[in-house]
Amino acid sequence: MTSMDMVKITFNLVVIYVIGGLIMAFVYAKTSPIMFIKAKEEKEAALKLMMPEADKIAVLGDWEPHEKHAEYYAARTCGEIKITQVKDEKTGEMKDEEECLNPSDIGYIVEGFGKGYSSYIHVLASVDKNFIVQKISVLGHGETPGLGDEIEKDYFLSQFKGRSAENLVVIKGETPDKIQAITGATISSRAVTEDGVKNGVHMLKKELSGEVQG
Amino acid sequence: MSVGQKSNWELIKNGMFGENTIFRMAISLCPSIAVTNGMKNGVSLGVAVVFVQTMVNVTVSLLRKFIHPKIRIPIFMLIIAGYVTIIDLLMATYARPIYKEIGLYIQIIVAFASIFARAEVFASKNKVWSSVCDGFGMGVGFLLAMLVISFFRELLGKGELFGYSLIAGNPLLIMILPAGGFLAVGLLMGFFNWIDMRFFGGKGASGV
Repeated sequence: MTSMDMVKITFNLVVIYVIGGLIMAFVYAKTSPIMFIKAKEEKEAALKLMMPEADKIAVLGDWEPHEKHAEYYAARTCGEIKITQVKDEKTGEMKDEEECLNPSDIGYIVEGFGKGYSSYIHVLASVDKNFIVQKISVLGHGETPGLGDEIEKDYFLSQFKGRSAENLVVIKGETPDKIQAITGATISSRAVTEDGVKNGVHMLKKELSGEVQG
Repeated sequence: MSVGQKSNWELIKNGMFGENTIFRMAISLCPSIAVTNGMKNGVSLGVAVVFVQTMVNVTVSLLRKFIHPKIRIPIFMLIIAGYVTIIDLLMATYARPIYKEIGLYIQIIVAFASIFARAEVFASKNKVWSSVCDGFGMGVGFLLAMLVISFFRELLGKGELFGYSLIAGNPLLIMILPAGGFLAVGLLMGFFNWIDMRFFGGKGASGV
């Protein structure tokens, strides 16, 4: 191989990789803003589903499980809803704006991440004022199709209702008060239960214990 | 692989039967075991592979004169990863409901030996149209293999097909676990080899 060949090969590789990189960067630049907005809408819809009885869900703060940004929320019901007419600045039309008076917390929602078999599993968990889990849902993950992705199924998720933080433990096989692992996906089950939800509930307890009396 | 002697239909048939990815070439066995515990999974992955395999073959074939043979491997890798990334991004943006269903399958295609192998063995040496037929045939062959394997695994392991209950009673749980994947692939491979020997004299199941 002459030095000319080496230059040729290097040039060939660089050119093709730069073109490939540019194409990918272009697609990413076009799609990521839309993707971001859609993901945010989906998250808001998911939050609403976590506590359907709440009138309002307010951000309380954020934390960093696995160095990822995650938030926690208070689910509130309004003592009274005051409706005021406000002028929309863009259209100039009058519209109703609801204001929540005397809100009271009925529970909390925490967003968390669990390190699974092949991805970080993005979860939401709602708890009541005594930090008993009400509901959890999986927002996103990259686990093995057919095995790990069973964590999205109801038979797994419904086990969480009524569990306290101490009982968020994965057991292989039948269990009356803990969480039963999915066959063939113990790591993913554990990531959701212990890494995602349990850590989130512990964090909530620590952050909010001052606010909660009895 | 000889060039130009096979018609397009023969190329497609070759991909489907004669050189079937799973049962004849025995490559890409990892997804065939990981993803075939239900027909829905198997078919989703199969369809995604047909698409990516065809597109990668077209691109490699178009670029074959510009790719220096010494660096072909990293370039094939870039083409495959590029397609997967772009499809992943586009689906996540414009087709979110479908993305939620098959997004996971798109991502695991990056590591597919069969797509890589066809780029290397066929598309880098042949014209575009032949490469399309080869890629499509190989993809459909993979899809057929996934259908057959996942049919038996879901039916025996869960008593269901496409999630609908068919058989009551205790299913053979092992069939939907990874071990059952090895059993199913091995037995089916043996079965197709037997057909080949019995009826086609070992010349390849397609008789080509």
